[in-house]
Parts: sequence; structure tokens; C-alpha cells
Amino acid sequence: MFDKSVIGKSFPPFSFEVERGKIRELALAIGDDNPIYSSKEEAQAAGYDDVPLYPTSPTTFTFWGNRKMIGQLVSAGINVMRILHGEEEYEYLAPIHPGDILTGVTTIVDGKTRQGQSGSMDIITTEVQYANQQGIAVLKARQVIIVRE
Amino acid sequence: MTTDAQAPTKVYYEDVQVGDEIPKLVKAPVTHLQLVRYAGASGDFNPLHTDSRIGELIGTGGIIAHGMLIMGFVGQLLSDYVGPAALRKFGVRFRGMTHLEDVITCTGTITEKYETDGRGYIAGKVQAADQNGDVKASGTFVAALPHRS
Repeated sequence: MFDKSVIGKSFPPFSFEVERGKIRELALAIGDDNPIYSSKEEAQAAGYDDVPLYPTSPTTFTFWGNRKMIGQLVSAGINVMRILHGEEEYEYLAPIHPGDILTGVTTIVDGKTRQGQSGSMDIITTEVQYANQQGIAVLKARQVIIVRE
Repeated sequence: MTTDAQAPTKVYYEDVQVGDEIPKLVKAPVTHLQLVRYAGASGDFNPLHTDSRIGELIGTGGIIAHGMLIMGFVGQLLSDYVGPAALRKFGVRFRGMTHLEDVITCTGTITEKYETDGRGYIAGKVQAADQNGDVKASGTFVAALPHRS
């Protein structure tokens, strides 16, 4: 049963550097061999100033950038062993480049318990707001997770 | 406000019409090795994506792919179509589990075209489905496109 008192709770900010190599690694794992993701030189040859962010690179921000993410979910009473991913949404607000230092703040924005045929499940929405080293808001990531009881 | 001066144009606003289909992307079959690579690239080491014993324990029928890998496939579709720097919003809902050897095809359609403050935007719906037509993820995107001058 989801504890509604944690709705609105924000966790302490986390900071990390956007790494060119992590963008390349993600593209390769997805099986995307577009050379713009492989090196700064290739990206520049295609007209970019540096390796662009992969559309789903923000997922590496939450897992690699926020090493405390799992512990934060546990502290909010969420059983991380029973999580299914329901939805993921990004708003790309301003350019993000390799070398940028981003700071993210995760907030639990919604949560409810639903009764289904196979028992109850909690549906929890989190949002991460990212700003760069100049304090400019660059990205908003929204995630819905489903925790089966 | 989010113009990235150093990003090449793949498609112009005038060249896109509502109802246009995005060139489809057929991915190679999902392999165990790909999921191991994806785990490392993304930082999501949940063993249900790499260890078949976990899948048997919790009844997912063997290893299942990371939902975010499937969103990554759809990201490749959009990266190929408008380029990563043009994306302003991208979100999906996960609708089914992807298993090893599934062949995922990503498709999309333009649903809207509009101008705000002199800038052109397109919006569309996207999805990823397997060889049987079972939808694994569906969602929407918004991209900013330059005008032909």
C-alpha cells in the first residue's frame, strides 16, 4: 500500500558530468550505428558541435548519475524488487553537451493504490528536474512505476 | 530558446504534413548479449533482464528486455527522422514485455503541425511492436523544425 504522505517529497540533489563515452555506449547497446554518437570528430563532420545526447540518454542520468536512486525509492517505502516500468517521458528544455555538469532533483509527484484481479498495485509517478552548471533548466524527466504487491 | 545553433537540419517544417508516416525501423532480434550491453550502458542492472533464473522465479517467462531498450529503439527512429537535437518532448507507455529473439519494428505518424513564436513544431505518435504485431511501447513526441528560407 502506497503511503500518500510521501507525495510531494523531494530527495537531496545529485550532480554528475555528462560523458561522451556514455552516449556512445548507449547508442551501441541500442544497436544504433549512427556515427554522430561515436566521437566528437564524427559529430562535427555531420554538423554538430559535439556528440549530441541520445534521445534516451536521460535514463543513464538516473541510473549512473544518481547512485542513491534505489535507496531513495526504498526510503519512500517502495519495494524495488517488484517494480515494473509503466511510462517514461522527457521534456528537452535546452541543449545538453558532453562535459556539462547537471544537477537533478527527484520528486514523488503522484501515487495511488489500485485493486486488480491479481492483487493490488501501487502506481507512482516521479519527476526529475535537471539544471546545468549555469543554473539553466535543461531537462524534465517523468517516470511512472508500477509496484505489484 | 532551445535552438542549438550547431545542429544540422534533417527535415524542414514545410516538408512535413499531418498524416505523414515516419520511415519505419526494423531492429535486429533482441539477444542476451544486447541486454548485457544495455545493462552496462544504462546502469540498470536489475537481474531480471540478464539472469534467466530470476525470470523463472517471478514468472515473466525467462529473460525480458529493459523497457528502456525498447524506448531506445523508438529513440533511434526519431533520431534518424528529425535528429536528436530537434526533439522537444518524447514519452512512451510500456504495454508488453519483450523477450529474447523478438524482432521489434518501430513506426510513427505525424499528428500535428503548428507554429509558436515563429518556430515550427511537429507532433506525432510512435510505437514499437514485435513480429506478431504485439505492441510493446507506444507514445508521442514533439520536435522543433526550422523553416525553409
